Amino acid sequence: MIRVFLVDDHEIVRRGVADLIEAQPDMEIVGEAATAAEARGRIAAVLPDVALLDVHLPDGSGIDVCRDLMNATPSVHCLILTAYDDDQALYAAIIAGASGYVLKDIRGNGLIESIRLVAGGASLIDPALRRKAVVGLGTHKHADPRLAQLSSREREVLALIADGLSNREIGLSMSLAEKTIKNYVSSLLSKLDLQRRTQAVAIQLDVDSDSRRLAER
Amino acid sequence: MLQHLRCARMCGALDGMQQNDALTFPDAPRGELDRVLSELVSVAGDVLATQGRLRALLRASQAITQQLELPLVLRKIVEVAVELVGAEYGALGVVDAHGGLEQFIHVGMTKEDAEKIGRLPEGHGLLGALIDDPRPIRLLDISTDPRSSGFPPEHPAMDTFLGVPVRVRNEVYGNLYLSNRKVGEFTADDEELMTALAATAGIAIDNARLFAETKRRQAWSAASAEITAAFVSDEDNDAAVLIASAVLTLAEAALVRIALPSQDPTRLIISVARGIGEDVEEGRSFPVIGSLVETVLESRQPRLIGEPEATAIAGGNTHQVGPTMAVPMLAHGDVLGVMIVSRLPGGFPFTATDMEMAADFAGRATVAMALSDGRADRQRMVLLEDRGRIARDLHDHVIQQLFGTGLELQSVLGTIVPGPAAERIDRAISEIDKAIAQIRVAIFTLSSGKSSKEDTLRHRVIDVVNEASRSLSESPRLEFSGPVDIAVSGTLADDVVAVVREALTNVVKHASASTVSVSVAVADGAVVVTTVDDGVGLTMSGRRSGLANLDSRADARGGSFDIGTIDGKTNAVWSAPYGTAGA
Repeated sequence: MIRVFLVDDHEIVRRGVADLIEAQPDMEIVGEAATAAEARGRIAAVLPDVALLDVHLPDGSGIDVCRDLMNATPSVHCLILTAYDDDQALYAAIIAGASGYVLKDIRGNGLIESIRLVAGGASLIDPALRRKAVVGLGTHKHADPRLAQLSSREREVLALIADGLSNREIGLSMSLAEKTIKNYVSSLLSKLDLQRRTQAVAIQLDVDSDSRRLAER
Repeated sequence: MLQHLRCARMCGALDGMQQNDALTFPDAPRGELDRVLSELVSVAGDVLATQGRLRALLRASQAITQQLELPLVLRKIVEVAVELVGAEYGALGVVDAHGGLEQFIHVGMTKEDAEKIGRLPEGHGLLGALIDDPRPIRLLDISTDPRSSGFPPEHPAMDTFLGVPVRVRNEVYGNLYLSNRKVGEFTADDEELMTALAATAGIAIDNARLFAETKRRQAWSAASAEITAAFVSDEDNDAAVLIASAVLTLAEAALVRIALPSQDPTRLIISVARGIGEDVEEGRSFPVIGSLVETVLESRQPRLIGEPEATAIAGGNTHQVGPTMAVPMLAHGDVLGVMIVSRLPGGFPFTATDMEMAADFAGRATVAMALSDGRADRQRMVLLEDRGRIARDLHDHVIQQLFGTGLELQSVLGTIVPGPAAERIDRAISEIDKAIAQIRVAIFTLSSGKSSKEDTLRHRVIDVVNEASRSLSESPRLEFSGPVDIAVSGTLADDVVAVVREALTNVVKHASASTVSVSVAVADGAVVVTTVDDGVGLTMSGRRSGLANLDSRADARGGSFDIGTIDGKTNAVWSAPYGTAGA
């Protein structure tokens, strides 16, 4: 039996996904959580094979939960389940160190298939796309503008994250404390966060209106 | 002095009486008395005449000071002066900054006479002498005076002359000229009367100038209040246009230009021009370095610019301009631009007061403009925040609900027997999935601004589809699947954008379709662009022509392009591997 833990703050989603999973002969739901705090405690207690994590949680991010699990309980495989679009979901999964992501589509998301693969230890992230997503960020002409905001340190961290390293491993390789790495990851997350994007646009507006002035003259 | 003269004559008469005491005739004392009496009468007459003239002077002074408009004041001065001394001709010349005559107001000469002469005096000869040395000049005959430079041919004959300077606050404002006394020559009394009148005239002119200035200040400040009101109103006003139009009238200018920074930091662009040649001037840019505008920008001080310099003010003008002032537009300590206000060549130079008022006006208007800009920015912020909120709501609630509901339907589907009901549920699930995909595109569009110049593939595809939707009865349905932005970049992205554009153009031109859908999908190492339309299929000629490009683009990338019509739907599928090279 593949033991699955479900983390999502929407009950209707949890119910739907649980129905779907329980209908499979080789899968069972061993627990559910609606918040990041609940998830951390309960997952550590039940040690599922696969944790299905939503990115947006009322008290934090599924990405943070996933990275914590990487350190604390490496046997738990994480799968990001998100309403994001593919590009954002891929970034989220890479940063989280998850084995893959599944979009909140009803058909064609291959949720069941994905859970089986991940439980067997496979990574669903195409290595080519993983590299593309991370390497040379900001050097591509059409790179995601959000990523241009990252500092070089953050990019360095992101590159190591892309290699699937945990916070502790990144800390060792960069000679930094694990806590520092955790801060970098939080900063990365907030920079790539959907909610922050409108503010980034607003900042851009300010820059535009400033350039109209001849302040230096 | 007059009294003194009279006394001397009367005293002399009495002395004579005493000396002739010895010659006594019976009638002698009486004859003497007659003589004295007649002398007294004549002196009294003189006194009366003098008093009459003093009264006339009073009246004249009153007449002058009653006026408040400067042109009327000046004319009245000349009129009363001519009347006061009984001159045939009179004139008032207003001295300009360069010692010439700025204005020449004359009376006595008919319009025809004046037109025959053709031009007004410029302040040479005798008129110039009075400008150079502002002291009264009194002559019996103008033509014999060495300072005279003669008259133009059509000028009426003039002989007697009296000229006195008119001072305003100790500065020579101009001169009062009188000629051809109707009876005899100009007397010392006339000179004194004119000097006295000139003093009153000076005060009247000063008052009139103050009055005019007050009126002008009022006009500027009223306009300033009006403009501020216009800026803070909700209407979408172009601040610079309002400012330029207002200044054109207020400053009695012929051309007002507002120069703002351009993309190129070394050049200013005339963003708004009002007045002569506004069409040509607007949008023209000129280098900042070395221009007079540069000094204004640097000093942040307004500047008066004379006619000779003014021609080069904005990197050369398309029209010749005269006196000019350049005023910095300051707001919150930043120079936003420069306002250049010009009159026609030969126009009145702007005064320091004009400049002060224009600078004050520009300052207020610029602050108002900056405030209204700030308000517009805030409104855009609110809009963006709104969009962000809508995007979050769609993401956090709508998609989740649809997803949950869809999953539930799916599990219901597993429990019922195949049949029409199952098929309907199945279709409903597909529709929900499509709705979710559409909402994702909407979220993406809502939560990303237009400000980024480095647009991602999805942005570019959305733009192309929006563009095409103008030519279609219904907006095309657009879907993305897979990490499109991450997988496709560089020249491949350019190709994908071109493919979407060409495919849509083909549909618009040839298919007369009512619904079109576009999908860009990334999966298994390839990017696939699919367009589906319900228009006329490929059997109809014409549709093929636009498609050759799509073929060759696919070939060049080792991809493929297929198009076919099944059940009234035409599918065009273009695909190319995205590889790992990152190109």
